[in-house]
Amino acid sequence: MQTQSVASPAAGSLAPSTTGPQPGTSLLANPLLATWRERALAFEREVGKAVLGQERVIRLITIATFARGHVLLEGDVGVGKTTLLRAVARAIGGSFSRIEGTIDLMPADLVYHAHLGEDGKPRIDPGPLLKQAGDLSIFFFNEINRARPQVHSLLLRLMAERTVSAFNRDYFFPHLQVFADRNRVEREETFELPAAARDRFLMEIAVDMPAQADARRRLIFDPRFHDIDALMEEVREGVLDPTQLDTVARAIQTGVTASPVLETYVTALWDAVRDPAGHGIDIPGVEMDRLVMGGASPRGMSYLVRAARVRAWLDGRDMVVPEDIRAVFPEVMAHRIFLDPVYELRRDALVAELIAGVFATVPAP
Amino acid sequence: MRARLSPLLAAGLLLALAIAAPAQAQVNTQSEEQERTQGAGAGDTANAPVLPAGGPFRALDLYPPRNFGYLLGDAIRHEIEIALDPAYHIEPASLPRARALTYWLNLQNVRLEDLGIREGTRRYRLWLDYQTFYAPLEPKRLEIPALTLTASDGIRSTDAKVPAWSFVMTPLREVAGSASGEALRLRSDIAPANVPTRRLVTATIGAAGVALLALAALAAQFGWGPFRRMRARPFAAALRAIRRAGPELDSSSTSSDSPVYRDALLALHRALDATAGRRVLAEDLPGFLDDHPDYRPAAPELETLFAASRRLFFAADAGSAGTLLAPKAVPGLARRLSAIERTAA
Repeated sequence: MQTQSVASPAAGSLAPSTTGPQPGTSLLANPLLATWRERALAFEREVGKAVLGQERVIRLITIATFARGHVLLEGDVGVGKTTLLRAVARAIGGSFSRIEGTIDLMPADLVYHAHLGEDGKPRIDPGPLLKQAGDLSIFFFNEINRARPQVHSLLLRLMAERTVSAFNRDYFFPHLQVFADRNRVEREETFELPAAARDRFLMEIAVDMPAQADARRRLIFDPRFHDIDALMEEVREGVLDPTQLDTVARAIQTGVTASPVLETYVTALWDAVRDPAGHGIDIPGVEMDRLVMGGASPRGMSYLVRAARVRAWLDGRDMVVPEDIRAVFPEVMAHRIFLDPVYELRRDALVAELIAGVFATVPAP
Repeated sequence: MRARLSPLLAAGLLLALAIAAPAQAQVNTQSEEQERTQGAGAGDTANAPVLPAGGPFRALDLYPPRNFGYLLGDAIRHEIEIALDPAYHIEPASLPRARALTYWLNLQNVRLEDLGIREGTRRYRLWLDYQTFYAPLEPKRLEIPALTLTASDGIRSTDAKVPAWSFVMTPLREVAGSASGEALRLRSDIAPANVPTRRLVTATIGAAGVALLALAALAAQFGWGPFRRMRARPFAAALRAIRRAGPELDSSSTSSDSPVYRDALLALHRALDATAGRRVLAEDLPGFLDDHPDYRPAAPELETLFAASRRLFFAADAGSAGTLLAPKAVPGLARRLSAIERTAA
């Protein structure tokens, strides 16, 4: 995923050689969006200093940040999920808090901190979630699937409403963005996230090994990547201002338009995902009329368009095109599609094929 | 329920009887042999059966065929009519078994038919099929031995004897053949008759024709063979559609927000999709050109097409779309792409 300069916002190789109004002029006309696009690209560059070969993941996290959505990272052990999240938190700026999921972690451990004071008396202080109170901009949840369902439901409310009840009152976190990660290798002593909690995440991003051999070599041999703390120092702090992100996100959502043709397209995609057999999508060895049991909620579809708008803005366009939808579709929609239990074990491969089939079938424009 | 069961019970009983009968018949074989030797010893008796007086046998009539003129391998059928007191029945075990009776005589088949009770008499009919393999050198009288039948009412049983029957067998040919032996010369085979096959041939040809037609329809449906080229020309179809849309596009007055322009762009998009076998978005254009390098010369036009359709469909900005790709340029683009398609195919 390549970044482009603002000077030629019309999508790279597709820029027509003919004269005429350049697509995206109206976006440049809005100085707020133009300058913030610069800052977003700078943010990507800063995170890219610490994390090698994950350009797509960084771009998706940028999209999620400007769509004000929560992100669940999924991947093997040691691919750099935590490093990535630390770099992202540092580059976004603002205060952040972090907690590790364990099997005995209870909701109260997130909210309260119980200890013995210097005078020997028991004390209850605000826990990791409340410490920074309203300023909290990023909340990390490492190994979220190790926490119990009680914790998940606390998180449900935190993500959906950005509030938590504690000390007999509600705490409000206006700028909060939740990042969670889980590794998909271990299954012992873990709790599957409930569908409702997963639906609250804007994206589920799979973090894989870097594909390029060069990046892999550097990750192994370059001492720079061995000292994570020193690596973090290189990332410039506070490239984005979390208190302003909401305003920018609103401006993006109103500034980038979706035409009626695109609305038709997205609706057709939705239909095709829910009824692949009716749209002639075929996956070998799969009974298409029972593959999809449901899902692809309206909230999911609205998230999809939200993310697509941000992607269009990052590409310097003031309109959403089908490519934007396609670029964010797997991460936003895959975890919202519910398969027949028979096919659940092969979920990753089947959903990828289903999505590829949907995009190969639904006509655009 | 009971009415339905009774035939079943009767059938079961019959089955049991049928299983029991051969076993009994085997037991009786020995005595039967004795009877037969006795019968043979008695000499050439009359056909009149020997009926025990006052027994249950009211009649036992043998109806043999002619008793002369038999040749090697001939079959002889004896029909025997039996009349019994109604309380009695023929013991199935007393019937002879089909087997080789002597070295020259086989009993091929034994069949007993129960005619039921009529006028106070139970009647049976018994068929015995013999086959003789005796090869006489001159006309010779032979004898089919007597046999004994047993009638029983369940408690008492009585035997009756079917008498022996003699007949004359004749040789097939003289003992000393004529010198030339011409009579024995093999004759040529009869020419085989023609089996009428006209209908079968006609039906086969007809079915083959129907199968070919069906195959042709299938090929047209799937675009195989000669139909492939017809199918694989989506740009030609797009060009036809655009031409059908009429001269409207060619006139310079047509504005870019008219539905004709929209439809023309859509037709080109669908043709691109059909050529690629999937949906081609603007970002897929480089990949499409890699897969179909024949279209590379038209790359700038295709880029213009995508840029224009983006403005038209997704920015709702028909004006700039028309500036990028004028409506009157669309038929030309379609012609260009269709020409590439023809040379590529």
